[in-house]
Amino acid sequence: MEGRNSTVKTPLNHVVTQRRSKRRYSRAMRSCVEGSYLGYTPGHQTVLKIPISRKKAKSRDITNRVDPDQVALLVKKEWQLSYVTPLYKFRHTMLKAYSRELSAFIVSEKPQGQAIEIAQELGFKVNIFVVLGLAETDQDAETIFIQILSKQVFAAKDDAQKVVWSGLLTCINGDVDYLRSLPPEFVSLPLLCTSGPESYSALVKSWFKKTFDCCFGPMCITSTNLQWLATLWTGCHPEKNVQYLKLAWTIPTLPPMDVTYKVNAQDAWMLWDSVRVNATEDSVSIDEVNSFIRGLQTHFFRHFRLDLSAGSLMRVSTALGSAHHSGKIKITSPDYMTTVLQLLTECALLKMPI
Amino acid sequence: MALLKPFSKLPELNTANILLVENEEQLQQNLAESIVLQKTNTNVNVRLARSLPLPIEKEKFRPRIDLVVFIINLTSDLSYQSAETSLKFLDPGYFLGKVCFLVTNARNASVPPERLISVRKLVASLHCPLLYAEDQTTEGVNTAAHRLLAILKVTAGHVPMATGLYLSSLSRCTVPSDIDQQNFD
Repeated sequence: MEGRNSTVKTPLNHVVTQRRSKRRYSRAMRSCVEGSYLGYTPGHQTVLKIPISRKKAKSRDITNRVDPDQVALLVKKEWQLSYVTPLYKFRHTMLKAYSRELSAFIVSEKPQGQAIEIAQELGFKVNIFVVLGLAETDQDAETIFIQILSKQVFAAKDDAQKVVWSGLLTCINGDVDYLRSLPPEFVSLPLLCTSGPESYSALVKSWFKKTFDCCFGPMCITSTNLQWLATLWTGCHPEKNVQYLKLAWTIPTLPPMDVTYKVNAQDAWMLWDSVRVNATEDSVSIDEVNSFIRGLQTHFFRHFRLDLSAGSLMRVSTALGSAHHSGKIKITSPDYMTTVLQLLTECALLKMPI
Repeated sequence: MALLKPFSKLPELNTANILLVENEEQLQQNLAESIVLQKTNTNVNVRLARSLPLPIEKEKFRPRIDLVVFIINLTSDLSYQSAETSLKFLDPGYFLGKVCFLVTNARNASVPPERLISVRKLVASLHCPLLYAEDQTTEGVNTAAHRLLAILKVTAGHVPMATGLYLSSLSRCTVPSDIDQQNFD
């Protein structure tokens, strides 16, 4: 039986000349840019870009698309934000079943380990419903609103149950590539807004963790995003009077100093207008935001000799809403809600550690 | 012109001089004490500054500076701006291995990630090494002091067969081309 002899002998006197690839040579010489992913296992790659320009805030009369009662539920409340990883096997059609399970869970978990209080609440009822009309693109999942209602002990028999806690799970204009890259059983609603006692928030989160295998985490709004919000709100001034622009900084002196800087809306708008390179263009770039904030800071420095960039921006508020660094947001006007929620959805997606 | 020049003075025997530049003047004090307390065979002099240029009156008494370290605190924007403006007052000869950047609070959740990215881009464009330090604990400060001392010994010429330029080209900061994007693998 002859086997094919497939060994190849290295020729003894033959010098193998390597064709010096020009691209490889220039790559070796390129100074500060290196190839990445040398240590990563190649897998499903999803890429999220940190945005450097955003669309100008458009006044969206969402009462056309969203039920006005539901809009009323969203505005004028202070929400605490957290990010949510994608939910596994979450069905929008099974909301009634979910609300029953959640109320049973709360009833079973609540009295554990707590002393009996005088004004204890009895009889929890959970409402989970969809808020239609907020989603921007086809990839966004519909927004879910969760309400916990209960009756106080000393209430009269016919008193209606009061809302003790509300929550909102939403995804507005999320990154399209990212949403498309998720496996089909997962629904991504990356932003959770909660309003109410922390004990209920913890219960709802643990139920979601158990049922849909997701993770929650605190979301803080970084100073860059607070600056984005400040400029977006100021930019809305010609259409809707924002009345004032209030910024609060914390300066790391001993003892720490809090500086609140309130600017008249008209002056803020004039400064913003002069910073804008192309007033007609729809998008706002991060350089314009930086120049706007730096303009405000240099004005402050000229009067008070205190450089605000040494501290960190903590709070931004206008008549349209207010945002705090620790993750609290309050929207007072329904017109620009989609833009603010879109910015917050982006923050939540970037914060998520998948 | 108040440029700080690397080779305009003669070196002293068995001595190394390090200059720590920090706008907040918080970490440099602890770091200086820790560097001086490290066990080493050379005499180490630590000089502190808030920003460059250094006062011109003291120019005669100043020894030759072997390593300039810029300390940037990521929680404040002013720290980064001040370091950037101080760079203009450094002679280009320093950037061949005698400059190092030290960044604190990189793990802080309230720091916007864009700031660290811009620091990395700046340091990569200057071909300098970038170190990260933990300034709240004594161990962190001691670790940072130990690393700075290792670099200082090379730049002062106390390590045979190694120069500052050689070390910095091995350990300089690099940024991947897609640093503005977050990748999830």
